[in-house]
Amino acid sequence: MDSARMLLACLLLTLAPQIGQADEPDAEESRWQLGIALGYGIRTNPLVLSDEIPIAVDLDIAWFGDRFFFDNGDVGFTFADNDYVTASVVGRFNSDRVFFGKTDTEFVTAGLDGTTLPIATLLEIPDRDYAGEMGIELLAGGRWGRLQLTAHHDVSGTHDGYEVHADYGRGFRRQRWYVEPSIGLSYKSAALNDYYWGVRSGEASPALPEYEAGAGVNVHARFMLGYQMTRNWRFALVAEAERLNDEAFASPIVVDRTVYGYFAGFGYRF
Amino acid sequence: MRLLVLVLTLMPVVVASANDADVELQVKPILCITDEVTPSCDMSFLVHWQSEQSGYYCLFNDFGREPLRCWSDERMGELEDDRNVQESFSYWMSEEGGASRLATVTVEVLRMDTDDRRRRRRTRHVWDLL
Repeated sequence: MDSARMLLACLLLTLAPQIGQADEPDAEESRWQLGIALGYGIRTNPLVLSDEIPIAVDLDIAWFGDRFFFDNGDVGFTFADNDYVTASVVGRFNSDRVFFGKTDTEFVTAGLDGTTLPIATLLEIPDRDYAGEMGIELLAGGRWGRLQLTAHHDVSGTHDGYEVHADYGRGFRRQRWYVEPSIGLSYKSAALNDYYWGVRSGEASPALPEYEAGAGVNVHARFMLGYQMTRNWRFALVAEAERLNDEAFASPIVVDRTVYGYFAGFGYRF
Repeated sequence: MRLLVLVLTLMPVVVASANDADVELQVKPILCITDEVTPSCDMSFLVHWQSEQSGYYCLFNDFGREPLRCWSDERMGELEDDRNVQESFSYWMSEEGGASRLATVTVEVLRMDTDDRRRRRRTRHVWDLL
């Protein structure tokens, strides 16, 4: 995954200046939004037997047409856009899968429910798939900040659930310095929560008890600090925390209630 | 950390030097950032120049045909220029008559807002720093 991102970053560095140059003569705003950030960061992993997710490269690849757009993995069609609201149909991949790519397998002598096992038993965290989701996105913004409301349902037959998300953020700029705090809530349906955080009977073992998760609400907060060094370069620091819902935290495969993350690095905007 | 401090300290200053004439022009700051809340910058520019040879030098900018100030038989000079900025512009040094530019520094205006509401209003992805 890291080498793939590196390869994509190199490709971006090669191609992006040509795109920017093509748009300069008529001074119109480019439909492309391309950037790369290099630095260091991690995102903690709430799963047992798991590793933190290291972050060294952050890519920003977006294209905004009159109606259609692509924004870092989200594909959308905007059907209403005015001073009050921007409404789009958006397709995306669910982000909860990311934790399941960094899990380990171990022999354990105690089950995740605390029981002592008579013999060492192989404990394997069940794998989960990315879910393709479709939904509606409502955006509003002004001097008071920006508000994003989304509702997405699984269309890939992966979890058959849905998620409703609200996020509010406001940016403050003082010339080169920029800070942007944001907070939000995510309601995750029982089907979605159970797919990612539940343990099905076929996956259960003496070390891994069966578990069925219900619906719940995650809460998250984010803080970004940026310093614009030149027209293209900026330094940025991001810190984020997401508190998992009760049903997810009660899962035997979850050991941490809150997912923390930070990243500090230098970003280049083409 | 030391590298960051060094970069942050040096970035806001630009020094321009002419190829043939030895005039150095330094302007601080050289970047104005605008957005929908602040569509222009009220800035105080500190302009400093120096030359190896004494002479008659004038400082110009894009806002007028007349020099901001001229120095006679001087090797260096400094000027503070308060200005409301909405577009990129240049300061330059010239000898008497203003025919050729001995050194030029451009103050850039970087517009951070966008006409596309989706870009303004969409939440950044988790690790999107840009």
